[in-house]
Amino acid sequence: MAEVSGGQVARLGVLFERHHRPLFRYFVSMNGNRELAEDLVQEVFFRMLRYRTSYDPAQSFTAWMYQIARNAGVDQARKRGTAQVVDIDTFVDRRAELVSASPGPEESVSRGQDLALLRRAMDQLPEEKREILVLSRFQGMKHEDIAEVLGCEVGTVKVRVYRAIRALEQIYFALEKERAS
Amino acid sequence: MTCDQARIQMLGGGEGKDFAEHLESCESCRSEVSRIGTLWQSLDLLPTEEPSGKVRDRFYEMLGAYRQGQASMTMPVKQARPKMVWQVAAAAALLVVGLGIGYGVREDRSRPELVQLREEVASMRQLVALSLMQQQSASDRLRGVSWSYQVEPSDEEVMNALVTTVNHDPSVNVRLAAVDALRPFTGSPATHVMARNAVIQALPKQTTPIVQVALIDFLAELKERNAAPELRRLVSDPDIDSGVRKRAEWALERMQ
Repeated sequence: MAEVSGGQVARLGVLFERHHRPLFRYFVSMNGNRELAEDLVQEVFFRMLRYRTSYDPAQSFTAWMYQIARNAGVDQARKRGTAQVVDIDTFVDRRAELVSASPGPEESVSRGQDLALLRRAMDQLPEEKREILVLSRFQGMKHEDIAEVLGCEVGTVKVRVYRAIRALEQIYFALEKERAS
Repeated sequence: MTCDQARIQMLGGGEGKDFAEHLESCESCRSEVSRIGTLWQSLDLLPTEEPSGKVRDRFYEMLGAYRQGQASMTMPVKQARPKMVWQVAAAAALLVVGLGIGYGVREDRSRPELVQLREEVASMRQLVALSLMQQQSASDRLRGVSWSYQVEPSDEEVMNALVTTVNHDPSVNVRLAAVDALRPFTGSPATHVMARNAVIQALPKQTTPIVQVALIDFLAELKERNAAPELRRLVSDPDIDSGVRKRAEWALERMQ
């Protein structure tokens, strides 16, 4: 990014190749809409290009990129007049398709159902809890980088990650109970 | 180490002698580590979503257009072709606006800098759309027309560029795409009158039946009664393609 910031904008292609998939997954996890997620990925790289001179090489690039991504997501949600909320039914339907697309032994089906349940539990998490899990688990970000993105202390991040996974566990078990009854 | 400290540490790897000692002595935390740890691990098993190939195409298209825009900024104005002057002016204006707002992305959303920053993003979209519509290659111009959907429909400059494309672009495909791209402008309070008039005035300039039909359909959709004289002229002109004449007749009926 330092090279892009210094004027070699073509080098943004390298960053795109490295980061566009994780960014896409971040947005899909947050809003459940593939098309919108693709638009937002485009928007993030556009903003990176436009505001490249604001990048401080001493700062974590990942943290800077996710700050831009969060702002782009918020702007988009405001434009649409909605919060970044997942349409759970649509999402679950699509997950069910994914599971049924590769039929296998019973265990696979059972695991698929568990994963579908886990996905539903993720979608039902409040947005801020879902986001911190997505950043820490799916995006594999360090607590230090997440703290920078969210503008809080590293200790706070650890507590919030723990609370989020506990909340996920509660939702998951509630859904499992619902399914069993 | 307390239970609370141990539980918070477990997701960060749970390293350290204190943590290990605590687990040894606390059954409740051992159980918690096992349960939460399993759930934490299973998050990895969720299917991962992959973006479509369009994302890559759109990115490189945007990057290419941006670099072209940059290149035009470095040309001395005296040597620039007349049609490039607006590009230089727009780019220079953007540069001025852009100074000092870089830190905006980290600031509070209600700050005026962020409002300015969003405005600049809109200006950049305009620049990319306009730059692409000026290119030699028809596929680039087509991309420019696609980019126009990303600007505000109140943007007169982009609307005028689309009208120019409808009237003068040598490629039928680009002209057709530009006709479609004018639709949002007919719904904006700032541009709807100009856009409607532009569509009416574009009709007699077209000689390609498919573009004529596209314009007629557009006017029928808008129920634009001011287009009636031109439509009647088409209906009565024996040199006009019969399909176009029929479509014009249909549009006139629809407007009544």
